[in-house]
Amino acid sequence: MAMGISFREVSHTYRPPRGRPVLALQNVSLDVREREFLALLGPSGCGKSTLLYLLGGFLPVEAGTITVGGRPVSGPGPDRGIVFQNFALFPWKTVRQNILYGLQKQRLPRAAREKRAQDLIELVHLRGFENSYPAQLSGGMKQRVAIARTLAIDPAILLMDEPFGALDAQTRALMHEELLAIIRRTPKTVVFVTHDVREAVYLADRVAVMSARPGRIKEIVDTGFAGERGSEIAGTREFAEKVEHLWGLVRNEAIIAQERQGS
Amino acid sequence: MKATLTRYTPLLLLAMLWELAPRLGFIDPQTLPPLSAVARAWVGLLQDGDLATNGLSSLQNLVAGLALGIVVGVVLGISMAWYRPIEVLINPLIRVLYPLPRSALIPVMILWFGLGAASKIAAVFLGCLLPVVIGAFNGARGVEQVLIWSALAAGAKRHQVLWEVVLPAAMPEILAGIRNALALSFILLVAAEFIISQRGMGYLISSFGEGGAYDAMFAGVLTVSAVGFFADRLYLALMGWALRWRV
Amino acid sequence: MASLGVLIQGLLRWASILALLAAWQAFAEAHVVSSFLLPAFSTVAVRLYHDVVSGDMVLGIVLTLYRAFAGFALAGVSGIVVGILIARVPLMRWFFDPLVSIGLPMPKIAFLPVFILWFGVFDASKILMVAFSAVFPVVVAAWAAAESVEPVLLWSALSLGAGRRRLLWEIALPASLPQIFTGLQVAMPIALIVEIISEMAMGGEGLGGSIMTEMRFADSPGVFAGILAIAIVGATLVKAMEAIRRRLLIWHPEALAA
Repeated sequence: MAMGISFREVSHTYRPPRGRPVLALQNVSLDVREREFLALLGPSGCGKSTLLYLLGGFLPVEAGTITVGGRPVSGPGPDRGIVFQNFALFPWKTVRQNILYGLQKQRLPRAAREKRAQDLIELVHLRGFENSYPAQLSGGMKQRVAIARTLAIDPAILLMDEPFGALDAQTRALMHEELLAIIRRTPKTVVFVTHDVREAVYLADRVAVMSARPGRIKEIVDTGFAGERGSEIAGTREFAEKVEHLWGLVRNEAIIAQERQGS
Repeated sequence: MKATLTRYTPLLLLAMLWELAPRLGFIDPQTLPPLSAVARAWVGLLQDGDLATNGLSSLQNLVAGLALGIVVGVVLGISMAWYRPIEVLINPLIRVLYPLPRSALIPVMILWFGLGAASKIAAVFLGCLLPVVIGAFNGARGVEQVLIWSALAAGAKRHQVLWEVVLPAAMPEILAGIRNALALSFILLVAAEFIISQRGMGYLISSFGEGGAYDAMFAGVLTVSAVGFFADRLYLALMGWALRWRV
Repeated sequence: MASLGVLIQGLLRWASILALLAAWQAFAEAHVVSSFLLPAFSTVAVRLYHDVVSGDMVLGIVLTLYRAFAGFALAGVSGIVVGILIARVPLMRWFFDPLVSIGLPMPKIAFLPVFILWFGVFDASKILMVAFSAVFPVVVAAWAAAESVEPVLLWSALSLGAGRRRLLWEIALPASLPQIFTGLQVAMPIALIVEIISEMAMGGEGLGGSIMTEMRFADSPGVFAGILAIAIVGATLVKAMEAIRRRLLIWHPEALAA
């Protein structure tokens, strides 16, 4: 459990500047093993992103505890890299400058920084675009830059908040392959938020299904594909059954969330 | 290039009109000297050194007031967006000053600083301050949270985030505010120079007007207008370069 | 419930203004600076009251407003006409485009002595100076508005039988109104500023002129009272324009969303 993550009775209330406070998470308890790929799956508004932000240290943990490697989380840091859905690239920096940002913070010598940045640019297949600005790139390319930027500082834990949600289906499928390839080369603990069931089953070792707001862990399902990942698994019967099972779990929660939105 | 030339042809026509109408007597050449007379007067001012002395004085005071306004404005605006206590303190001040034409404060500046450069610089400063503060405040407030979080996750300290993320992200709004401030700085400087009247282009224009040297007066007016116009154009080019990362 | 929020916002705004005035008063009473440099708010307020009641200031306000409004009206009408013409008549666009693009960033106040030379030292020069300065934002707004009327609106009207001439008045104008009105809202403070500056430079009657007189007599409370009057007048005008906009554009989504 050296760099494992542990959530214990975590609750969170969202307090908007105007309006009533909302209980976003309720007593969430969850363990993420080291080097495990865990997907947080649930309907919109169930608090899965909130859980991720708490783990990332962007929101303060008010109730319950979150520990990483036994130590409680206290603020953001380079041990937990984050990738956002809308890329969050610094638009005034080029691709290379974006990737260099975290490296500059780590005070590596210049030559080492540049080399590492170039390695990552190669890793995400963006050679030739080093000096482009984000505004000049497609969605898929932007997301690759975001991933490269986060991977540059080699965090032990990778937090991903619906990173492929803004991409079209084809790009998304390609990104899945790329992500798995990267994880295979440099294993990390990954916590991946998504509302897409197929994506969760395809990418993750385990899937934690969350209930509608206030979010609780409804069930944790082992996808059973640990280590055996290739695009062929998507066609197998085991895959389809897992997807159906999870979809059943999510569906009820999605309906509840939907109805609550209408009221 | 050619497109620019054809675009400004009507100005050429107006220039010709300006030359011919007074010469041919359609307009009293006392009230509107022919363009050539104005040009000659301009050269005269240049050779006398009048243009240089007054132009320099104006430029100095303008740049001083503008620079001060930009620095203070950016610092204030971003601090307001980043530290809530500062916002609570300063916001009412801004809300009250905003509808007040800052030129109305010129007499107060004279009361405080007398009839000299200090009053002019203070007037320009006050005029420039608000658009920059508002631009910086709105720009900093509008920075996407995920950008700040990404920087924090990459290992940046909070104060580094302010300098390295919030400021660049707020640049579009800041630069737009500065463009406003630039235009206002010219207006306030000329106004202050009309009123304080000791040195500077405003003084030059009004004293020639009172003295009856209308060709020199027009030369001064055109000079100020041209400088104001080109300053804006130059600034736009600068702004375009600084924001070249946008699409 | 929404109106309670608006009420609270309004109260907060007034509260912050009151807090500011209280701070001014405290600062002045602490005599950190001499009462010449910063007279107490109470002194200034009392002085303002006297000036208004005695009628002196009223004359000044009326004159200033009259000239500012006259210039504003001139700029408004001519600006809208020219702007629409530019959008619809290629010859007008060819002629006016460079004038507008050059005129906009120029410090037009530099032309004040020219207007004095041409129109004398009384009202006419001030009114025309105001008009000259205020017309540019109106032209730009009217031009943009006329160009951006959605073709589908015009086509619907045409297919419903509207004649071409009616089209301008009944469809194009209302559709352009929000943008044109915004241009007018920008022009209004410009009119006030330019009028005040002109009065301060030329002297005589009017808010700007009286402030200059008081300044020459080192009448510090008088100067501040004059500025307070200008602030109140300025704020009132802005609020009035906003209120008129709400009434006029009651059908606009921006009003319905509120």
